[in-house]
Amino acid sequence: MNFFTRGIRNTFRNGIRTFSIIFILGLSIGLCIIMLIARDAVNKKIVEAKSSVGNSITVRPAGINGFEGGGSLLTTSQLAPISSIPHVTGVTEILTDRLSSSNTNLVSSITAGSFGRRQANISNQSFGGGSQGRFGGSFDPSTFTPPVTITGVNKLNDLDTVLGATSATLTSGKLIDANSSTYTALVGSDLATKNNLKVGSTFNAYSQTFTVVGIFNSPNNQFVNSGLIAPITTVQNLSTQTDQVSNAIVGVDSIDNLDSTTNAISQKLGSAADVVNSQTQLTNAISPLKSVSSLSLICSIGAAIASSFIILLIMVMIVRERRREIGVYKAIGASNITVMAQFASEAVTFTLLASLVGLIIGVLGSNPITTLLVSNSNSTAPAGGGFGRRVFGGFGANNLRQVHAAVGWNILIYGLLVSVLIALVGSLLSSFMIAKIRPAEVMRAE
Amino acid sequence: MLEVKNLVRTFGSDGSKVSAVNDISFKVEDNAFVSIIGKSGSGKSTLLSLLGALDKPTSGSIVVDGTDIAQLKDHSLIKYRCNKIGFVFQSYNLIPNLTALENVMLPMEFAKSSRFNRKKRATELLKEVGITEDKLPRKPGKLSGGEQQRVAIARALANSPKLILADEPTGNLDSENGKMIFDLLHKLSKTENTTIIVVTHDLTIAGKTDRSFKLSDGKLIK
Repeated sequence: MNFFTRGIRNTFRNGIRTFSIIFILGLSIGLCIIMLIARDAVNKKIVEAKSSVGNSITVRPAGINGFEGGGSLLTTSQLAPISSIPHVTGVTEILTDRLSSSNTNLVSSITAGSFGRRQANISNQSFGGGSQGRFGGSFDPSTFTPPVTITGVNKLNDLDTVLGATSATLTSGKLIDANSSTYTALVGSDLATKNNLKVGSTFNAYSQTFTVVGIFNSPNNQFVNSGLIAPITTVQNLSTQTDQVSNAIVGVDSIDNLDSTTNAISQKLGSAADVVNSQTQLTNAISPLKSVSSLSLICSIGAAIASSFIILLIMVMIVRERRREIGVYKAIGASNITVMAQFASEAVTFTLLASLVGLIIGVLGSNPITTLLVSNSNSTAPAGGGFGRRVFGGFGANNLRQVHAAVGWNILIYGLLVSVLIALVGSLLSSFMIAKIRPAEVMRAE
Repeated sequence: MLEVKNLVRTFGSDGSKVSAVNDISFKVEDNAFVSIIGKSGSGKSTLLSLLGALDKPTSGSIVVDGTDIAQLKDHSLIKYRCNKIGFVFQSYNLIPNLTALENVMLPMEFAKSSRFNRKKRATELLKEVGITEDKLPRKPGKLSGGEQQRVAIARALANSPKLILADEPTGNLDSENGKMIFDLLHKLSKTENTTIIVVTHDLTIAGKTDRSFKLSDGKLIK
């Protein structure tokens, strides 16, 4: 037996007291572990949210968003200097156009519905209505068929980026050569079904015959699945919008450089473009999670301090109670270091046993408490859909609140380190007291 | 040989100084069995503390085997206590959660003896002081007062010290057990080649030792 095993054995000297100490200390350490697990889970969610946003900046012609607004489109030559801005990893140029029944034989897979008819009527009226109207004098909203959207791109590395969709994949065929000026197209799955198209089929657009080289699908996204993708040069030439671009997606090397790169692009393009990034929306969305993360950190530190204080008081009490015993140890030849090490061993044993209890409490309590913390946070995350869906890829408020707490090795290691630290801090005062005890005082107390 | 010269130990500040030990000098030969008697507060326990290096004298010297322990540094005092001194206390002061065997092995652990030697020597010593083998694994709470004091004596002998200091070793025992313990100490002073100094109130016991010192108000009067 040595000081270490004596320390361990001393832990169990009094069963009821040992149980009480381990239980109280275990609760405190359990709270600390729960908060560490909650913080880890929330931080992982934040990282996940950040990675889902992607490091991209959207550049649109000033005053134009999709087919709404007014002004002049951007040109390829205007966008060319963006590539040389630091941190820019690539520029995807996009030109979108609508194919009506007059310039394609394709039938949209989307039914107009009340919304489509209303929008078409407003659009027609904005041109003066009647014979002056956008759709001519015979326009009847009840027979209106939505146009087919064709998207011209100069790069097609990522369908989601081009389509503003989530998990869009090529279900058959291959990608088009986006740098070519061929009459080839990727067709959305709904549009392909509606028009009986498959890979190798042809259709007419702008009085030209296009060949379907691939079919794509984005889950639960009827709008995207009713569109076409073609090389941008082809769309520019056929739609008589040579060199024009309706928007561009600029890739940035790190999310940390989004703001600075956005400012640099704005300065390059001046008032000709609206330059937006997802940073602001992301910041708003994850700010409640960051609050939970900070709160968890504060609580875990607080619980660790409380645990240290508990073990400190316990060890002080034990040392006071065993003054004579410590005097005996010193009288028969033990050094201060040996006696301190024995009591430190006792404190570490108490703390490790309490950590085990705390770990069990942590594993059982981390998920419900994390869920409670996150659900009670005042999340301002977009609820999905619209720009929110485009930016967050469906990462809405509900998704952000779905935080699953799991015990990882890192938490176990942190917990162990914190426990040992708690034990050492808790032993400090008692060690000081041990060093002050003189064996002669014990003799006098005889 | 133990030689004490002009030993003084005072407590308190200038205004209220108390000399617990006041200019004491004496010599004790090796293997002697010595008693110190005196009333409560006469300075017996303080003298014992000074001889056992549990306390430092205000002035004077305590020479054991040619070394003045009053001049030793703290770490040397620990070694001195460990290797040269054995203590026997009135209330035994055994470590309550260690067995009789482990209590006796303890000083040898501090002297860095091997575990095998510790166990062998502790078993021999416990046998020598009359503790039967079946009581070796018992904790102090399961032993009688006399048995506990025997274990304490075995512990004091563990590192074969030059000097054993016993503070009222029979004070908590009945007369029969007290006599047995006294006889044991007397025997050990011869068989273990150690000097034993016993502090006691019992004049009968004091009369049976090789030498007896009497203390009064911190001074040696006999």
